[in-house]
Amino acid sequence: MAADALTTDWYKKSASQTRLAFGQALLTLGALDPDVVILSADTQDLLGVREYIELYPDRFIECGIAEQDKVGIAAGLATVGLKPYVCGYAPFVTARALEQVRNDVAYAHQNVVIGAAASGISLGVSGGTHHAVEDLATMRSLAGMTVIVPADVHEAYKATLAAHEMEGPVYIRLGGRTPEPDITDPDAPFTLGKATELRSGNDVAIIACGSLVEMAVKASDALKAEGINARVLNMTTIKPLDTEAILKAAEECKGIVTAEEHHVTGGLGGAVAEFLAENHPTRMRIVGLGDTFAVIGPTPALRARYGMSADNIAAKAKELL
Amino acid sequence: MPETRDELIKRLEGQANKIRRNIWRALKAGGTGHAGGSLSATDMLSALYFYKMNVRPAEPDWADRDRFILSKGHANAGLGATLELAGIVDEGYCDRFYMMDDGRPPFGMHPDIKVPGIEMSTGGLGHGLSIGVGMALGARIKGQAFHTFVMIGDGELHEGSNWEAAMAGAKYRLTNLTALIDFNKISQSAHVAEVMGLEPLADKWRSFGWEVREIDGHNMTEIVDTLDALPFSGNKPNCVIMHTIKGKGASFAEDTHLWHQNAVNQEIYDKAIAELETV
Repeated sequence: MAADALTTDWYKKSASQTRLAFGQALLTLGALDPDVVILSADTQDLLGVREYIELYPDRFIECGIAEQDKVGIAAGLATVGLKPYVCGYAPFVTARALEQVRNDVAYAHQNVVIGAAASGISLGVSGGTHHAVEDLATMRSLAGMTVIVPADVHEAYKATLAAHEMEGPVYIRLGGRTPEPDITDPDAPFTLGKATELRSGNDVAIIACGSLVEMAVKASDALKAEGINARVLNMTTIKPLDTEAILKAAEECKGIVTAEEHHVTGGLGGAVAEFLAENHPTRMRIVGLGDTFAVIGPTPALRARYGMSADNIAAKAKELL
Repeated sequence: MPETRDELIKRLEGQANKIRRNIWRALKAGGTGHAGGSLSATDMLSALYFYKMNVRPAEPDWADRDRFILSKGHANAGLGATLELAGIVDEGYCDRFYMMDDGRPPFGMHPDIKVPGIEMSTGGLGHGLSIGVGMALGARIKGQAFHTFVMIGDGELHEGSNWEAAMAGAKYRLTNLTALIDFNKISQSAHVAEVMGLEPLADKWRSFGWEVREIDGHNMTEIVDTLDALPFSGNKPNCVIMHTIKGKGASFAEDTHLWHQNAVNQEIYDKAIAELETV
């Protein structure tokens, strides 16, 4: 993708929300490629695609509140050589339409990109029906599915552009309706399957993705004040996983803490643990939602209650020293 | 000399008979399979592949080909039997039902997209019509003139996703899309009316914005006339409700849920073929 596509205009319009950065990237792609098509299940504003719809009405398909139909249609479009981007709520596109994602998209190996907003507990007050805390487990268990978890708008924008060039289905996990702080280097290229080191250190490693990368950095900074050097890895792609960076961290540090806004089963922590169990058994702590559904409440309060906080990440890191 | 209408009908009936023979050949090779739903679909498959659909057997991925999706994927023995007869897959395909690892495209209980001529892996029910909507919309966006056919089982219509797709087909006025309902009245467990009633089926499709024709799905003249009439209207997707007989052509398998899926040995094969010979 040409660097000039990375203007500051998209940045302003994304208003520090990854879901809107996804929509801004689609605006760029819509101009570049007449094969780009967007599908919505009454989710036009959720991913900020109104401007795209105005410019390219013939390449926008509104399916109504029908997730299964939307994913099936996307698969059909892909068979004709189009590049469908599915806009949806993470809890519904990954669970309600799971069979369509599995059979029509993944098993049939179609070039469909799923942009899933409102992941994790980003819609905290909407309640448990709207919390997507199993999506990484389901999506990464689908053969051939690429799974990307941007940590901020820069990564969300770049990943959405990069997905256009990828082979096979892609899942991009996006946030909710509140601003997410900038955390990554805007000038860094998006490289599939590569983690980035945000803090160096060899005492302990914290591997985080998405909204908890910020917490991991805060935890590392707090530990630093206590004389503990905690490496922080931003694991932008859960699949393919950066096993090289994980192995290096396991070899050089006393233990690894993973942190994600997801159930502790099957997500980033599970992926890291699966790899290390076979290759370099390592002491670990997995930070995420335990074996429970979260209550209804504001997202920051929920994160704190269920341990998805900088304090808890730091505490778990100290357990490994 | 061009083929007369009578000759066409006779030819298609003969090809349907050959497809039925191929189905029994595949089921015997595999030892078991879905005879009932494959046999009910056969006359329409014959008319599609040997008359209506624009396909190039030697070039199955030709971009402008008409598309066929077997949404009722369990009837794959019928589709495979048709693909062999059409020369889209190699001769002998039907003798390899369920046989893996011989370096050739798989022929299993349900269609697999890796096989030449198969547009989508199906078998999870209620998927085909949405995919067909995508293909028909894709044709429009790409400026292509191909037609998309989706064959749906009657029991399959219990899946709500069909009705999501039905709404979308009507909303986007997909005249280049045809749903073919194989209405054989029997699903895996019992008569469809007992399992979950569908009637009034034609009214349901009409109320969802489709142009509907009801036909005898084993009367080749009616099938050909119906396919000739496509698109049925200038602004609606097309639905053909085919009244069919599950297990058509094998007296012992007709009109019973017991032959939805069943074991097939040499004795049953011989009996079935003998009945087809008499047609």
